[in-house]
Amino acid sequence: MKLLTRYSQLNIAATIGIFLLGSCTFYFLLRYVLINELDSTLYTEQQEITEYAREHHALMEILPANDQFITYRMVDKPVSQRFSNTQLVVDQQPEPFRAVVFGLNINGRNYLITVSKPLKETQKLLAIIILVSVLMIALVLLVSSLINRRLLHRLWQPFYNTIEKVKGYKVAQKGLLELEETKIDEFSLLNQSITAMTERVQQDYASLKEFTSHAAHEMQTPLAVIRGKLDMLVQNEAVLKSNPAQISDIEKAVHKLSRLYQALLLLTKVENGQFVLDEPVAVHEIIEEKLIEFSELIGSRKLESFVDLQPTDIVFHKQLAEIVIGNLFYNAVRYNKNGGKIEINLAADRLSICNTSAVSVLDNERLFQRFYRHAEVKEEGNGLGLSIVKQICDMAGYRLCYFYTEDKMHRFEVLF
Amino acid sequence: MKILIVEDEAPLNKSIVEYLSSQKYRCESVMTYADALEKIESHQYDCIVLDIMLPGGSGIKLLQQLRETEKEVGVIIISARDQIDDKIAGLKLGADDYQTKPFHLAELSSRVAAIIRRKNLSGSNMIRFEEIAIDVNAKQVTVNEQALTLTRKEYDLLLYFIINKNRVLSKSAIAEHLWGDNMYLVDNYDFMYAHIKNLRRKLLKSGAGDYIRSLYGMGYKISVK
Repeated sequence: MKLLTRYSQLNIAATIGIFLLGSCTFYFLLRYVLINELDSTLYTEQQEITEYAREHHALMEILPANDQFITYRMVDKPVSQRFSNTQLVVDQQPEPFRAVVFGLNINGRNYLITVSKPLKETQKLLAIIILVSVLMIALVLLVSSLINRRLLHRLWQPFYNTIEKVKGYKVAQKGLLELEETKIDEFSLLNQSITAMTERVQQDYASLKEFTSHAAHEMQTPLAVIRGKLDMLVQNEAVLKSNPAQISDIEKAVHKLSRLYQALLLLTKVENGQFVLDEPVAVHEIIEEKLIEFSELIGSRKLESFVDLQPTDIVFHKQLAEIVIGNLFYNAVRYNKNGGKIEINLAADRLSICNTSAVSVLDNERLFQRFYRHAEVKEEGNGLGLSIVKQICDMAGYRLCYFYTEDKMHRFEVLF
Repeated sequence: MKILIVEDEAPLNKSIVEYLSSQKYRCESVMTYADALEKIESHQYDCIVLDIMLPGGSGIKLLQQLRETEKEVGVIIISARDQIDDKIAGLKLGADDYQTKPFHLAELSSRVAAIIRRKNLSGSNMIRFEEIAIDVNAKQVTVNEQALTLTRKEYDLLLYFIINKNRVLSKSAIAEHLWGDNMYLVDNYDFMYAHIKNLRRKLLKSGAGDYIRSLYGMGYKISVK
């Protein structure tokens, strides 16, 4: 939920609450005032009647009036004054009235006198006043929420700008994250903190990268020494004869380590953007070369290959193109099953390589991670082939996708 | 043939010297930039094996200096840096070859041999081993003066064996030599076995001795028993 929406919700709820409470209070207050007003006119009337009685020792003659009814009744006991709401029937319709009841003693007789005035007008007035104020408040509420929405949106804009920039930020990118200046302290603090954080992250990343590169490099020389010594050691046939398995294992391990180093170094170079992608590359030619290179391997596994190539030229890096195609191709052959199939399709905008395999569907999430190996794969790859392909595609802005098709084929697609 | 080895890692330096010396080269070795400069200024070499990162200076600088003063010496750069830029810079400045660490000594030796062959155009381009002769320029193999037809891979294999004669070549060294950068085939020795089998069969058929021996499943060696 957006902050703005949440804020508006709370704001409107609170306003409506306050508004309801206020309206009730307003209603009762207004009603009290109006009835009070009515009561005071009734009281004036009472005084007139009382005055008249005192002077003339008789009751005033009742004149018919629309807005006032007076009744006299003789009672046994004296009556005390009291205001009340009553209903009187006017034109066969019961209508609300406000009445004052009081007693008078004229010539030793007790009279009960009622003066009533209609409440209808007062209620009408009350209704109009309430309606007008409700409308006013609703209008104010609406307008203020609209203005808030606009205003808040504008005020929050620097925040959204920053978020947009942070979203597009990559640690590996060159140059610092540039955020717009803003006059609002909070946002400016946010921007400063983010900038400082990315600077730190970039420094850490740079030193980590440097470390990786140096570590890999420093490993090379001892590795070269081991290999050199091993080459010298095997020249001694007596040694070789007594330890062929051990020497062979050391040899294999050194080979693997040096391969791993080369792969890691390549990854680092791709990450560092040390390749300039400005060579025209004929993709179909590279695929044809690879087909020849792999022909022995394909033949030995009795694979059937279906190749459909459209001449495709892209601006890329020849060596990297060979690595991408070679890696995908090699996987398609290596993880195939004997007597399986390989399909290669090259169109102007995409390259797809499909293969049958003894291995079931791959984990799309982890497939391109370094050192990921499928659980069913026992062969000793270094687990970097696909992450190299992915890294190169990312750098070039190509999309690399993996699908597991219905006829149980693994399909890798590069969208140029 | 005189070779200068410039490498600051003593054990590696020693291995290179030992291996190349066993190939009948005369080797001298230095471990620093200053020593290398001194040697280059006062002696003549056929080939220099040059490390890039040296105490006291860069091998690239040394190469630059060498090319300004000297003319015909072959240079092979060995470096732990697999940076393409370095490679290009090295080759541009007149290095003849580039070898990334860790390398097989046999591979280095075969590259040194190739450089020396190229530099000595006037000299013989025939490499002989018993009754087998290879004309490196024409890429022709003869056994007892009879031409022998080999495939490209078989030819490479034979040349590699003969240049490193009497040395044990591990399977990975052979595979790497044959397929070089194509790491996919390097890991699978089956193809190498097939090529070696074919080469041995062709050599035997043409009347050459069976000189290529498999050694305890570890590697191969060409030698007169």
